[in-house]
Amino acid sequence: MSQTSTRMAAVIRDLQKHYVLKSETVRALRGVSFDVPEGDYVAIMGPSGSGKSTLLNLLGCLDQPTHGSFLLGDDDVAQMTDDELSTIRASRIGFVFQSYNLIAQLSVVENIEVPLYYMGNLNAKSRKRSIELAKMVGLGERLDHRPTQLSGGQQQRVAIARSLVNDPYFILADEATGNLDSVTTEEILALFQRLNDEGKTIIMVTHEDEVAEHAKRVIRLRDGEIQIDEAVKDRKIFTPQQIQEIAHNADVASRGSE
Amino acid sequence: MLYFRTIKLGTKSLLLHPMRSLLTVLGIFIGVASVIWLLAIGEGISKEAQRQIEDLGAENIIVRSIKPPDESGGNFRQINAFGVTRNECKLIGNTIQTVKRVLPIRELTQKFAYTGNPNVKPIDGRLVGCTSDYAEVTRLEIERGHFLTTREVELNRPVCVIAARLADKLFPSEDPLNKQIYLPEKKEYFKIVGVLKHRNATAAIGGSLAAQDFSLDIYIPVTTMRVRMTDQETKRAGGSFSSQLFELSQITVQVSNSEDVPKTAELVEATLRQNDPDRQDISVVVPYELLEQAKTTRLMFMMFMGLIAAISLIVGGIGIMNIMLATVTERTREIGIRRALGGKQKDIILQFLVETITLSIVGGITGILMGLLCPIVVDISRWGLEYFAPQLYAGLPEVARVMRPTIVPISIPVAFFISVVVGVFFGLYPAVRAAQLDPIEALRHE
Ligand SMILES: Nc1ncnc2c1ncn2[C@@H]1O[C@H](COP(=O)(O)OP(=O)(O)OP(=O)(O)O)[C@@H](O)[C@H]1O
Ligand SMILES: [Mg+2]
Repeated sequence: MSQTSTRMAAVIRDLQKHYVLKSETVRALRGVSFDVPEGDYVAIMGPSGSGKSTLLNLLGCLDQPTHGSFLLGDDDVAQMTDDELSTIRASRIGFVFQSYNLIAQLSVVENIEVPLYYMGNLNAKSRKRSIELAKMVGLGERLDHRPTQLSGGQQQRVAIARSLVNDPYFILADEATGNLDSVTTEEILALFQRLNDEGKTIIMVTHEDEVAEHAKRVIRLRDGEIQIDEAVKDRKIFTPQQIQEIAHNADVASRGSE
Repeated sequence: MLYFRTIKLGTKSLLLHPMRSLLTVLGIFIGVASVIWLLAIGEGISKEAQRQIEDLGAENIIVRSIKPPDESGGNFRQINAFGVTRNECKLIGNTIQTVKRVLPIRELTQKFAYTGNPNVKPIDGRLVGCTSDYAEVTRLEIERGHFLTTREVELNRPVCVIAARLADKLFPSEDPLNKQIYLPEKKEYFKIVGVLKHRNATAAIGGSLAAQDFSLDIYIPVTTMRVRMTDQETKRAGGSFSSQLFELSQITVQVSNSEDVPKTAELVEATLRQNDPDRQDISVVVPYELLEQAKTTRLMFMMFMGLIAAISLIVGGIGIMNIMLATVTERTREIGIRRALGGKQKDIILQFLVETITLSIVGGITGILMGLLCPIVVDISRWGLEYFAPQLYAGLPEVARVMRPTIVPISIPVAFFISVVVGVFFGLYPAVRAAQLDPIEALRHE
């Protein structure tokens, strides 16, 4: 075997997840195997109920597989206790949810800091980093705002900043653009591409082909199994000018609504 | 730092629903305040009771004469003497070693008048025949002039000492000293030689008599009373006459050493009952024993008050628990987010516990402050009642009018400690429930 120079963000082997209900056992994942190299940009697709969210929850260490192994760096997640899983989530995983999931009582910058809080890493330096991330997603002017004072797209950008704060193995996004209009979706996708260009690994679940076209690779699930795992042909790529322009427009929009 | 963050966060979450938090705090507030209040009032009442008994004198034994119930309703009825006699009084003083002195006392209800001022109406009061020792033994204090002297008693002088309130009423604008007081029923004049200081009533003794109110008393030598008024007391009530024959109303036996009181009381009783063990016309009251009783009563009273307060704290605690359970349900989503972002179960428990403990500590501290206001509030409400509903106020028992709430110092740390314990105890279950939610389910919660 030849030694590959790319390191793996995640190695998944024969991953199975069964939900045991009273009358039946739902086999949500029936043995899924794939590798995610660092710097990859994966879109997971498939019909409703095919196991996309189940897979993403396992990747996010929110749940334990019934069978199989999931190597995150050098650790096998399948063997971990609840506290260890929590520690991993705090330190090495970035979540972006469909419904943003910001904490209402906290300001923008405090929301970004939450994973650090649970890592026990809050200090002046981390505060600086959180502020930089807020600036990076175009919300440098709104550090003290509450989630309710932000638009959906802005909230999602806060969530993306939050997912980056702990320097994760990968960003997991479950239908991250599902609640957003097409303009805002572009904005988020441009941000994802920029992060990916900078080397971040992204795994996102989506229903929409237009969204998936921005990824490097598509995994199609069907009935808990991988149907297709292929590179995206004709990948849609934002040009640097486009990224700049979108970022600028978003910036103007967020200032204008103040 | 992290704990500070947790507390700050908890406070923020609580302030998100200020009304709800306020009402929850109110439960603990009332609980803690009532612990302090009830104990303070309980302590005040028992202190007052104790003071009243102590005013009777812990080294005294009191023998009261009791008028036997009327047996015959006829007009020609034999009038029998009742009560303790002068001879018995002397006998006790001479024969019982431990007795320091014995005071003979004879009391009559009388009208008192001052003829020098036509605006002043006669006043009902109590005429007390006594000796010069009386002031010292019953702790009467002289404001002006002097109390009855031995000489005045020996010489049957027509002099008197009057209580402060009586002096105020009969002599609103004059100096009472050396004025003559007139007793219209006896057609006698007494010269005032002394005026007493104000004082509160003593305890009711042995059920034979209501609390002694000294405020309308006139003291004259018991010898003068005997010579001028005899032992027979005739009153006209609604056209018919009633007559009583008694030598003394009371003797107060002062014992040299208060340890000897119980023994001496037995001897006194034995002396008085040597001829008739079933004698009904006297009653022996031992304030020393009352005092002991009062101490046990006090303990029970405090326990009872404590129990009531504890119940109100538990009710407050249940209020907290109820709110926290609702809060946990309401914030299921937030819990899911926190778990997804790396919060451990114990972080979630801590977060919710901090909130309940904050609520209960705020309730505890404000409750303590309210508790400390107890004496002031009691004073204000007494004043208000006296001002707006004087009749209601006058109807209050003596104790309720003069009692001063006494904050029991230990009740403050205890109340605070209990409020924290209530917070932890009733907050733990909701917090654990929050922590045990499945993160995925919690995230899906709407
Ligand atoms: N907690 C659970 N208990 C029982 N069954 C479950 C549970 N979670 C998911 N399932 C089942 O597992 C299967 C896969 O669900 P999953 O949520 O992964 O689908 P999905 O691909 O994300 O669908 P969608 O596109 O609608 O979000 C479904 O049949 C679902 O009913
Ligand atoms: Mg799903």
